[in-house]
Amino acid sequence: MKKIEIPSKEYLGHGHLACAGCGAAISMRLTLKALGEKTVMVFPASCWSIIPGFWPYSSFRIPAVHAGFVTGGATASGIRAALDIRGDHETVVAVWAGDGGTFDIGLQALSGAAERNEDFIYICNDNEGYMNTGTQRSSATPMFAWTTTTPTMRPKENPKKDIMAIMADHQIPYAATTTIAYPEDLLRKMEKAMRIRGTRFIHLLSPCPPGWKIPSELTVKISRLAVLTGVFPLYEVENGDKYTINLEPKPRPIQEYLKLQGRFNHLTVSGIEVIQKNVGKAWERLMKRAGSRNF
Amino acid sequence: MTEQIVFKGVSDMPTISISFGNMDWNKTGAWRSQRPFYEDKTPPCSAACPVGNDIVAFIQKITEGDLEGSWNVIKEENPFPGVCGRVCFHPCEAKCNRGNYDEAIAIHALERFVADLASNLNEKIEKGSGAKKGKIAIVGSGPAGLSCAYHLARLQYDVTVFESSSSAGGMLRMGIPSYRLPRDVLDQEISRIVALGVEIRTGIAFGKKLSLDGLRDYQAIFIASGAHQSRSLQIPGEKGKDVLSGLGLLRKINLAKKGKLDNRIAIIGGGNTAVDVARSIIRMGKKATILYRRSKEEMPAFEDEIAEAIEEGVKIRYLVNPIRIQQKDSLKRLECLRMELGEKDETGRRRPVLVPNSNFFIEADSVAIAAGEEIEVSFLPKGVERKEGIVLTRRDGSTGIKGIFAGGDLTSTQRTVAHAIGSGKKAALAIDCYLKGKDSEEAIREILIGDGPSLSTFRYLHPEERKMNPHVVAFEELNTDYFEPSKRQKESKGLVKKRIRGFEEVTSTLTEECAVKEAERCFSCGTCNECENCYVFCPDTSVIKTGEMFSHQVDYDFCKGCGICLSECPRGAISFKEEAR
Amino acid sequence: MKKVITGNQAVAYGVILSRVDVISAYPITPQTTIVEELSELVASGRSKTIFLKVESEHSAMAALIGASTGGVRCFTATSSHGLAYMHEMLHWASGARLPIVLVNVNRAIGPPWNIWSDQSDSLSQRDTGWIQLYCENNQEVLDTVLQAYRIAESVKLPVMVVLDAYVLSHTSEAVEIPAMEEVDQFLPPFCPEYLIDTQEPRAFSTIATPESFLEFRYKTQEAMEQVPEVARRVEGEFRSRFGRGYGAIERYGKDGAEILLMTSGTVTSTSRIVIQKLIGNEYSVAGIKIKRFRPFPFEEIREAIQGAKKLVVIDRNLSAGVGGIFAQELRASLYSREERPQVFGFISGLGGRDITPELIEEAVQYAVEHDRPEEEILWLGLKK
Repeated sequence: MKKIEIPSKEYLGHGHLACAGCGAAISMRLTLKALGEKTVMVFPASCWSIIPGFWPYSSFRIPAVHAGFVTGGATASGIRAALDIRGDHETVVAVWAGDGGTFDIGLQALSGAAERNEDFIYICNDNEGYMNTGTQRSSATPMFAWTTTTPTMRPKENPKKDIMAIMADHQIPYAATTTIAYPEDLLRKMEKAMRIRGTRFIHLLSPCPPGWKIPSELTVKISRLAVLTGVFPLYEVENGDKYTINLEPKPRPIQEYLKLQGRFNHLTVSGIEVIQKNVGKAWERLMKRAGSRNF
Repeated sequence: MTEQIVFKGVSDMPTISISFGNMDWNKTGAWRSQRPFYEDKTPPCSAACPVGNDIVAFIQKITEGDLEGSWNVIKEENPFPGVCGRVCFHPCEAKCNRGNYDEAIAIHALERFVADLASNLNEKIEKGSGAKKGKIAIVGSGPAGLSCAYHLARLQYDVTVFESSSSAGGMLRMGIPSYRLPRDVLDQEISRIVALGVEIRTGIAFGKKLSLDGLRDYQAIFIASGAHQSRSLQIPGEKGKDVLSGLGLLRKINLAKKGKLDNRIAIIGGGNTAVDVARSIIRMGKKATILYRRSKEEMPAFEDEIAEAIEEGVKIRYLVNPIRIQQKDSLKRLECLRMELGEKDETGRRRPVLVPNSNFFIEADSVAIAAGEEIEVSFLPKGVERKEGIVLTRRDGSTGIKGIFAGGDLTSTQRTVAHAIGSGKKAALAIDCYLKGKDSEEAIREILIGDGPSLSTFRYLHPEERKMNPHVVAFEELNTDYFEPSKRQKESKGLVKKRIRGFEEVTSTLTEECAVKEAERCFSCGTCNECENCYVFCPDTSVIKTGEMFSHQVDYDFCKGCGICLSECPRGAISFKEEAR
Repeated sequence: MKKVITGNQAVAYGVILSRVDVISAYPITPQTTIVEELSELVASGRSKTIFLKVESEHSAMAALIGASTGGVRCFTATSSHGLAYMHEMLHWASGARLPIVLVNVNRAIGPPWNIWSDQSDSLSQRDTGWIQLYCENNQEVLDTVLQAYRIAESVKLPVMVVLDAYVLSHTSEAVEIPAMEEVDQFLPPFCPEYLIDTQEPRAFSTIATPESFLEFRYKTQEAMEQVPEVARRVEGEFRSRFGRGYGAIERYGKDGAEILLMTSGTVTSTSRIVIQKLIGNEYSVAGIKIKRFRPFPFEEIREAIQGAKKLVVIDRNLSAGVGGIFAQELRASLYSREERPQVFGFISGLGGRDITPELIEEAVQYAVEHDRPEEEILWLGLKK
């Protein structure tokens, strides 16, 4: 078995306030290792308004600008402009937004910035719900999942919004999915993104123990199962039309993924069947997009 | 900075909520309800190994390219890796967790690989300097006796081994044919033991040329005379002409004694001896048929041996029970009854039941009986107890007579090379305790591998090192997501036609490339091999890499006890315990 | 150099002369010609300014918050609905103590849909912690933009410069445009205390608990309290350099007048004529132009109204349920005084209704004829 190699310098200190087993903490730690010292990160409101600590402390070892919930794409555009005015074209401007701040309330600012091809890396840390405010549904919440606003009597009716399709269709230079169970994939994609100019979008799946109702030790395992059951495909899109599927797993039954999560405990057999079918359909859609564009 | 920052108020606060320090002062370790810690546990292979090999350690060294290190690990426990790698029944492989994933690791092949490499490089075992601590006598130079001699010599004792036959090795030389165990391999491993200062005196039989009285000067005695008597079938005609003992026949062949061999030989029995006899006969150009009273599934000989025997032309007839051996002219005529399988007995095997009136006859030029071995007891001193065909000893190998220990086939019904080697080792450590006035039971308990009965000499000599929780790692405790299925490396075998022309070794040693590939398949159950998953996945940067030998540790100031390290450890080398509050 | 330019053009000149680094704006009537002018100037390559053509006003302010944190001088302009959309970010800019300058073209907020002059938009933002400066003519607009950066960067608070829709924004007047070198002498480069720096990484706008939030807000108020002195100094310098000044308020007309007319924005120009006329008719009247609304010029007003018995306030805005906002704040500023003049609060001109000299005279006349107002809120020119 190969050792997973990651750079050793830490840019996220310990003592932070993330829940035990927080997937986003792993995501952030690995991401910052790739992005390195010459980075400024914008944080629209999310769990990361709290995690780094209260004033006057911060666990970050890079400059970090906390911003309004809506404003990821916009604030980053401004920072990029300021750095360019100052003659600094090297420092990477990154946005770290949750699924709320990307799929929902932040979509407008992100779309506007992407259309202008603003020069930043936008990372959507997707934990599939508004977790900082106590697990309410977002448009990234998967179908039939429990959240506090989609209780088990009436779980989420609609499928997860396909944010990658939306971003790809903005024809930005680079968009990619990744998740914590594949650290080398995550690092490679961040490093690749850093070498490209223009709007780069990374969709990063980070399981959330309290929100997904999983024991804290299973965070990485669930992230891996999301990929291996086909729920979260790993792929890249360049300029909106060149698709590279990084892993085509022989998909394991979706039940393996669902049964470990309390937010899916209420599912009936038919519900699981529907989800399984939808996973297959989503792959077909992806392959169609990929095939039709790679020629 | 790790201190907290305190502002008085508006007089010294900044205008904006900008950070001035980090969160290192916030010891999130206080959140924990359970704490993870690195704890090596016992792998199932070592727990199953009667010799007490540290299998995970020697295999991991192969993956690191440290072949000398691998050899060093092996020789701590086993003086006969070249032998074991060839003839052991490898219970380690039956228990190997990788067997639940794809195929078990070819541990025997790896042990053989390292042993053969060490041979080729003429690796020697360092002789200790300093005064000898005492004189020990050992009766029998089989694997048990020589293993005991080896470990005693390494403990700085002056050892003399008394062997009744003309050459050392016991069953290794007499019983196992050279196409399974080449003589030069055996000779080299014995010579390494002699090089430690052990004296082997051949041609001296205990009870005849040597008496207990003659061993007065020795501080302790280990009797490992083995089981060399062929068990009788108790049927008429058994003592007739041309009815040989399988063991006797093997001994002749293995000592390259001249003698005539008949053309068609029937061999009664189903164990390794029967198969060894049959395959030896084939190699001498004769025909061999094995008659076994139970079915194929129950034949106790090693599966590989049986398969190779069949390839080589040995015929095996199952469910056949000879009841009489008659002489008919120059032939032997065996009257047999058919057997069928009935109910299961206490051991879980279906009892063979005679089918009445099913008598039939088999003819052969001669017959060899290989239906088990028995111990010779005439020379045993009074006070050494026996029961049901074995000498009784306490767990530490001591007998009813103070200072006299026993082991090997003499004291056990599990008659394998590995068990014998393990038994010799145990006796050596027990003798050391006895002479030092230490409690051997306690000492043994400390060095058991898993729940025993195997022991670790390394841990006896270095109690603070290689600590292992005796819990044996089960397959369910591993995280196999980090492994890819891969085929088990196979040692190549000679072509049947060539093999049977002589006594050349049938299998070849793995090449280094294949050995490394195979070693990399090892899960390293229960022993950290620094894959660094724990370090990569810790959300709180609380796995610290230190430069020391055990290179990871948990930063308990900050660890929140989430358990991801434990879950992502592929090999179960991390444990949890309740946080004391 | 004198030029005949609209109010919006004056803004554009002010921005360029202030060497603004980053502009981020979204078009809305009647601000559009500001962004159009600036786009042309930026595209021509004559300035290194970056213009972010964001997709909403909220994003415009957010982008500037980012840019200002990045340590560069920033500008935006908006109006009405756009300003309302920015509301959340206005709070943020003030809390983050960023010296951003925003020009707001005063326009009604609908429905009913209305694009004409009305102060309700800027005044609805009075609690956001921005300095607010109102302009009477295009010259004042340009001058105020220049002064705004000095004041903002000095006290570390954002400044809103306000001008009336169409009456100023789209109306041409003669404006003296100072030379770039002269402005450079007046307005040095922006040097923030804290800015994004990878060599000295910090987290900005982090969460502050109840244990410190009170103190942060105290500091904002403290900064507001420094504004009168800072503004005076800046004004003084401006006056000596450029020969023009405005003050926080301006009193004109008869000394010791009994009745004072208080206005802001272009209404003041009309009021000057009315006051002059009334003085000619032996009325004891004077006028007060309020330029600075935030921080409210308590001291200046208290001093200026010495001897007055009646204050006539014309509010071109409405806070429904309480009345005109200038009147309300004025009443609050008088509360501590022993002798308090009567306040006659008139609402007029909403949604661009012309505030004619006749209407203004009507208001003054009402005050002459009444000891006290008959209603809390008086409406001028209401069609019944």
